Amino acid sequence: MRRLATLALAFTMVATACGGLAPGGSDSSALAPAKDVAPAATMTWWHAMSGVNGDAVNKIVAGFNSSQSKIKVEAIFQGNYDDLLAKLNTAIASNAAPALVQVYDIGQRYMYDSAQVVPMQAFIDRDKFNTSDFEPAVINYYKYQDKLQSMPFNASTPVLYYNKDAFKEVGLDPAKPPVTFTEIADAAKKLTKKDASGQTTRYGFGPSIYGWLFEQLMATSGALYADNGNGRDNRSTKVVYNSAAGKAILDWWKAGVDGGYFYNPGIDNDGAANAFNAQKSAMYIESTARMRGHITTIAGKFELGIGLYPRPDSKPKEGGNIIGGASLYIMKSRPPAEQQAAWEFVKYAMSSAVQAQWQSDTGYYPVVKSAYDQAPSKDFSTKYPQFQVAISEIRDSPQNRSTNGAVLGVMPQARQRTQKMIESVLLGQATSQAALDAAVTEMNAAIDKYNKANP
Amino acid sequence: MKLGTLAKYALLVVASIIVAFPLLVALSYSFMSESEIATFPPPVFPAQPSLDNYSQVFATIPIVRYLLNSFVVSTAVVVGQLITASLAAYAFSFLVFRGRQVLFFLFLSTLMIPWEATIIPNYMTIRTIGWLDTYQGLAVPFMATAFGTFLLRQAFLQIPRELWDAARIDGASTFRFLISTVIPLSRPALGTIAIYGFLSTYNQYFWPLLITNQPLMRTTQVGIAQLRFEETLRWGLVMAGVIMVAIPTLALLVVGQRQLIRGLTAGAVKG
Repeated sequence: MRRLATLALAFTMVATACGGLAPGGSDSSALAPAKDVAPAATMTWWHAMSGVNGDAVNKIVAGFNSSQSKIKVEAIFQGNYDDLLAKLNTAIASNAAPALVQVYDIGQRYMYDSAQVVPMQAFIDRDKFNTSDFEPAVINYYKYQDKLQSMPFNASTPVLYYNKDAFKEVGLDPAKPPVTFTEIADAAKKLTKKDASGQTTRYGFGPSIYGWLFEQLMATSGALYADNGNGRDNRSTKVVYNSAAGKAILDWWKAGVDGGYFYNPGIDNDGAANAFNAQKSAMYIESTARMRGHITTIAGKFELGIGLYPRPDSKPKEGGNIIGGASLYIMKSRPPAEQQAAWEFVKYAMSSAVQAQWQSDTGYYPVVKSAYDQAPSKDFSTKYPQFQVAISEIRDSPQNRSTNGAVLGVMPQARQRTQKMIESVLLGQATSQAALDAAVTEMNAAIDKYNKANP
Repeated sequence: MKLGTLAKYALLVVASIIVAFPLLVALSYSFMSESEIATFPPPVFPAQPSLDNYSQVFATIPIVRYLLNSFVVSTAVVVGQLITASLAAYAFSFLVFRGRQVLFFLFLSTLMIPWEATIIPNYMTIRTIGWLDTYQGLAVPFMATAFGTFLLRQAFLQIPRELWDAARIDGASTFRFLISTVIPLSRPALGTIAIYGFLSTYNQYFWPLLITNQPLMRTTQVGIAQLRFEETLRWGLVMAGVIMVAIPTLALLVVGQRQLIRGLTAGAVKG
């Protein structure tokens, strides 16, 4: 135990010393092991990918292991993202963490503050690794003070899913999905169907009360969610979504539910997806990662359309979408040789051939743009032409602090709190401004507490 | 049949359908295709029952191995709990020694320690002795049970003191009395502990996830989690997995039901 504490202290001191060596922190390569350190023979990677995605992970690992003979990577499934993080915390306490871990998007600040990570930028700077081919929207999400903390791995964005058959039925153009708040409300009114007894049999639009969707709506509004550039320039000290943009989102949502043309499945992402599959709602918003699942489930029932994510009527130029998903962290507690092995594997995973295969197997965005020229990715585009909309959605998103997305140490709680906030508005328990202010006050106290506990 | 009996049976049938409904839906869904589940209103019976979901479970996870692991670990925990709990309960009920009461309450107070608080120390212990990825690592931390000891002590206290006196007069040793008299008389309580211990070990999720890394050492609940895909939930697949995992526990309940009910009500009515 004592040895462990000493070790941890030593690491902190090394980290501080290295930070001191790099003036202005412009070059962080000193944090990485020296370039001539030979990679370890085995390296362990913890991930949270199950099912089809898990198979795709194993395919990458098998490909890496057979592509060279020096390093053997062992990929281990550790439950969902939350389970994995819980296990990682336990393992860190007893020095049993692996060299490489996959952590979800909202764990970013937490990982940074844990001081257990070698920033990916350190390896990039050390090897002068070229990142010009990386998808800006994807890579920017994992940067703090313009330094890459982790390597994006599985990336997705939310899009508008719509039922083309329902569009045709009510005389809407199935090739032109609605984009702005008013367009969506108007289309939803037309798409809503009632039976003889006045019961609604189909709603126009049915988004889940999901905090991520609210964050995305703030981003397409071109507004900030948290201060200090969404926590990108410096650590956030408060959330700021109780702005006019935040109020406009809630008012739009509330009017739709009150008007009876938005379906409210509650805080239930699977419920919203099932309602769409069952044609109980004709449009809804969710991650691109669900696209393949929808296509298989609704096969033969109706035609699926994919449109751009909703935005305010003014279509703010600085608005765009944030990517979600997870990224790969190299852990500081492992010996340099293992970190080196992890970096070798990360480089392999980022090659365009591997990324193209990954996209084709999972439906996530490739992290590198050149992957789109590879055969598996081209086949994927032919098979799922709808995905093109998703690609242009992130391509066309301007890169700024609001589209980079917010990072907070308490992001999981913040997300839950916004869900409670939206619910209270939709249920008529609070006015939109009062609900926003209440959520912001509560979150600011939580952020304050977190920041004090992690100086 | 009398009308009253008929009404009673009708009521019982309705009640049992309500109680069994989730399980029946799970069973029904496990035979449905994903697009059939997604229709609205949800169908109750599969139109074209298929075993696709089951073969998918076999293709996705080594379910047989997981079942075997869970079975080995749960059985080991049950055996361990029965031995430790009966010995401890015997001491707390029949043997007279200084500080018995204090010790007993100390024992009981461990029930108040949340399991979450012990998980990191337990993990470190298991790791230090090199038991990660082993059956003993999965089973040994759960082999002593304060709840079981308490339950057994209550059962042992029901045994008439006279038997103890008679056995002593006949020259039985302390241990002999436990084996020949106390244990046979407490079968319902022991059965309860066995079933309870088995089920709670069988249903563990976080501990097995924490201390195993090799896919072949994982248990059923971790397997079910592997069937839940991060982005799209395939209900049919998950339900097929749940049914396969539930069958052994259901079998155990059917076999042990009588013991369980007798054991749980044992302390409730004196007699």
